[in-house]
Formats: sequence, C-alpha cells, structure tokens
Amino acid sequence: MVLFFLTSGLFLGWSLGANDASNIFGSAVGSRMITFRRAAIIASIAVILGAVIQGAGTSDTLGKLGSVNAIGGSFTLALAAAITVYGMTKFSLPVSTTQAIVGAIIGWNIFTGNPTDSGTLSKIVVTWISGPVLGALFAILLYILITKFKKSAKIHLITFESYLKAGLIIVGAFGAYSLGANNIANVMGVFVPAFNLQELNLGLFSLSSNQQLFLLGGIAISVGIITYSKRVMDTVGGNIVELTSEAALVVVLAQSLVLFIFSSTALVNFMIRIGLPPVPLVPVSSSQVIVGCVIGIGLYRGARNINFRLLGEIGIGWIATPLVSGVITFFSLFFMKNIFNIEVGHKIIEGAPETPVMTGVTGSEMSEIMKYILLGILIAGTVIGLYYYLLERKKTRELKISEEKFWKNLK
Amino acid sequence: MAVFKRTTKELIISISEFFDSIEIGLLVFRVGIKSYIEKDMESFMRHLEKVDTLENNADRLQRSIENEMITHSILPQHRSDVTRLLNELDEIIDAIKKSLNEFIIEMPEIPPSLNKEIISLANTSVNAGEELIPAARAYFTAPHTVREKLLKVYYFETETDKISFNVRKRIFQEMNEIDLAHKAHLRYIIHHIENISDLAQKAADLLSRMAIKIII
Repeated sequence: MVLFFLTSGLFLGWSLGANDASNIFGSAVGSRMITFRRAAIIASIAVILGAVIQGAGTSDTLGKLGSVNAIGGSFTLALAAAITVYGMTKFSLPVSTTQAIVGAIIGWNIFTGNPTDSGTLSKIVVTWISGPVLGALFAILLYILITKFKKSAKIHLITFESYLKAGLIIVGAFGAYSLGANNIANVMGVFVPAFNLQELNLGLFSLSSNQQLFLLGGIAISVGIITYSKRVMDTVGGNIVELTSEAALVVVLAQSLVLFIFSSTALVNFMIRIGLPPVPLVPVSSSQVIVGCVIGIGLYRGARNINFRLLGEIGIGWIATPLVSGVITFFSLFFMKNIFNIEVGHKIIEGAPETPVMTGVTGSEMSEIMKYILLGILIAGTVIGLYYYLLERKKTRELKISEEKFWKNLK
Repeated sequence: MAVFKRTTKELIISISEFFDSIEIGLLVFRVGIKSYIEKDMESFMRHLEKVDTLENNADRLQRSIENEMITHSILPQHRSDVTRLLNELDEIIDAIKKSLNEFIIEMPEIPPSLNKEIISLANTSVNAGEELIPAARAYFTAPHTVREKLLKVYYFETETDKISFNVRKRIFQEMNEIDLAHKAHLRYIIHHIENISDLAQKAADLLSRMAIKIII
C-alpha cells in the first residue's frame, strides 16, 4: 500500500524528468553536439546523485510550508500537483511543478486547518521572481566572459567547439545534479514528513530515510529522462539551438548555478559564516530560470523583440498554477477522506510528538525493498554500460573498415 | 576525450593542408601559364603534373574533412557552411587543372604581342585566389578579420575584369592580322584564366556571409 501511495510522487518525478531534462541537454542534443544516449546516461546519474546528496535543503523549506503528516495526504497532494501540471500543459498554459506543489501544500493546510507560514511562503514566492532575474544576470556575465575569451584567445574554431562540447557535457552533468538537488523536493518533499524508514547501510555509505525517498524520486526522474525527454528535446531543444553554441552553454551554466544556489546547504552555511544573509533553499522552476537566461543574453545583445507576452504568461503562471493546484488538492482531499476513508492528515498541535502515518509496509521492510531496488539498478547499470560500450566499439570498427574500403576502391 | 582531442587536431591539420593545396595550386598555375607563354613545354608539363597531384590531394582531404565532421559531430552549427566553403575552394583548384589541361589539349597560339597582357591577367586572377586563402584561414581563428582580408579579393577580381576587357577589346578591334576563329579561341582561353578570380569572388561572398554569421 505504501508503494502505491508513492506512485503519484513517482509520476510527478517521471514528468519532471521528461520535461526538464530538455532545459539542460536540449541545446546540446538538438544541435547534435552530443548523442541523446550519452546525454540521458549523464543526466540520469547526475540527477540521482544531486537528489540523494543535496536534496534535503529544499525539502526542509517545503516541510516548513506544510508538514503533511499522513501518507494518504502526501499521495493526494502529489497527484493533484501532477493533474495540475498535466492539465495546464494540455491547454498550453505555462506551468511549473514547483508552483503546483506549493499550491497543493497550501490546499492541504487549508483542508486540515493548519496555518500556512507566511514567512516561508513569501520566501518561496520571492525566489520564483529572483530565480529568472538571477539567471539573466548570470547569463549576461558568463556571456561577456566567454565572448571576450573567444575573441582574445584566437583559438581555432574547431578547438573552441571541442571545448564547448566538453563544456556542455560537464555543465550538463552539473545542471542535472542541480536539478536533482533543487527539484527533488517537488517530487518527494511532501512524502518526507509521512515516512520514517530505517537507515540503509550499504557498507561504504548509508542512506537516511529521506535519502532513500530521494533516491526513489531520482530514479523516477531518470526514467522520465530516458523514456520521454528525447521528444521534448527534439522540439524544445530546437528552439534553444537558435542561440549560438556558446550562448547555449552559457544558458545551461547560468540555469545550473541558479538551481545550485537555491539548493546548496553548504553555500548557506558559508554565507552565514562570513556574515552574509543566507540564500533561501527553495525549489525553483528550471524552465522559468532558462527563460530568464535567454532574455538576459537577448538584452545584452541588444535584441529589440523580447517576447513580453512570454514574460506575462510566466507571471500569470505564478498565480494561476498554485491556485488551480490548491483547489484541486482541497477537493481531492475531501474525496479521499470522506469517500475512500483514507487518513489524509490532521492539524498539527504545537509540542505534540509527530508520528508518521504509514500503512501496509513497515520502515524496515521498505528499506529491504530499497536494497533490492539499488541492487537491481547496479546490475542494470552495469549491463547497460557494457552494452553501450560494446555497441560504440562495434560502430567505430565498422566505420574504420568502411573508410579503408572507400579509399582502397578509390585508388 | 583523448580520442576526441586527436580527431580535432587531425581535422585542423587536414583543413590547413587543404588550404595549402589550393594555395600551391594557384602558384603553380601562375608559373604554368608563364612557362606556356615562354614556350617552355617541359616545365609546363611538370606544373601540370603537380596541379594534378594537388587537385587529387585536395579532393581526398575534402572528403576526409567532411567525413570526420559528420562522424564526430564537429561544428554542427557551421558544418554546412564549412562544407560549402571547401567545395567552393575545391572548384578553384578544379578550374586550375581544367584550364591547364585546355592549354595542353588545344595548344592555343598566343600572339607574342599579347604575352605581357596574358601574364598580367593570370597574375591578377591568381592574386584574387591567393588573397582568399588567408581570409579562409582567418575564419577559423579570427573571424572578425575575415571581411577586411576579403577586400583584396574583390579588388583583384575587378582588376582581372578590367584587364580581360582590354585584352579582348584589343584582340577583336585592333588585331586584324589574326582570323576570327583564332580570336574566338583566344577569348575562350582568356575566359578560363579569368574564371579563377570569378570563383575566388564567389567563395569570398560565401566567406563574408559566414564571417557575419559567426561574429553576431
């Protein structure tokens, strides 16, 4: 039953992987600088690492907004957010998983009679605006640096492109890591308070209850990247390709930096240590940040045809998405509680100890399942890696033979 | 990554060798025409052979560069432009080979009074081609300097047109001692020499557009 409740979160993760991977590798794959297969493998590994290593910060912030204390509630929230994202995408309305999940949490707060922390909410809303603005600033700075370097270094165009290609792989991996770290809260954040899994010891390292959840979410995102993101990359990626290769690299790097900044606990600790106000750890929409980055470069290059309609649509999305998601969540919770008789959460009483509501499987059984999942991934990863390596070797050999044959025949 | 680095280096060398072939081909054309006019057929044949080797080499390099770029996804955004540029440059060396072959097949009889003008025409036409090569090389290393380098190509092309016009006018209006068939033959040969600068201008137009695209 517990695994069933997780399906809505996993679906949300799948759709996040399918949609948002194109923001990271879309330009590189769309311009044929890297093959989709290579991009998908890099993004999948990096997104899981980001989610497990650095996913805690943004999840804590969402937890402060509303601590969903029943797994039925978490399921409903994630499902309502997923329905909102799906529905709004279907009607071609701008939508972000981040905004949908925040709306869903507020809907849960209203339904269960819990107060919404206005301080946390305003912190989150401010980052929705500051994310794209920061992205634009980073993009302008990085673009100036890269164009100055290109002009002064006088390196051969092919060498420069090879650096760009390597850069797109490294920056793409960093971007996927940051996406996992920042956006895992959207996928699994609402399940965190409702789950209490046993620590999983894997010899070299151990995974806490939250990290196990993030690992599952990360895997769901990876499946989304592998199974569906190619279509999105082929369409959305093509639009980004219209930028030059260096602008594409800048956009991905700027976006990755923004996502990283809004999810790095280490950076927050460092800022506090040197006496600066800490950056809030909040999940931000990678799609909206990337729009900010592209507009930043456009402004720097003196583009006059900035699409203000697109900016307006993003602004409407900031209000419409949480509103739609909140309403859907409220009614879904009502049905879940009164028709299906499922516990969806209750009012949190200050000082009372919180006991997570888990039904069907115990924490230790769940950890056992996690162990098998990890083993499965390890075996599947090794087999796929080996298959990929052999396939590449075969292709290279065949190409070499065909080349030799061609020149032999020509002589 | 090491394999990728090696491919990049090899490709850069191949492109440079391709440009070398065109550049040497132009030089050989210049001295080849001079040899023909001076009736040094032994030297002319040597130059013809050299051009043949250079043209084959340029073809081989062109194919290999295009293959490498496609196989290793190199310059995906500029690949079609670079391929077209290589084609345009290859057309120059093809024209050089064809032109020298026309000389050896048709053995045009050039009146001694035209020797100086024909050599001058060949020199100017070759100059246009020669000025194109540094601009083509600059596209890969300093694209913002390409357009200023191309100015010389346009200058020499115009000069070639002027010389060609004057020579043809002289042949048809002043040289009454030669018959019309001979005049037509000379016009045909002049057109072949002039063609080098026309092809250089065509490549320069493409290169100029490519430079703008890469700078903005």
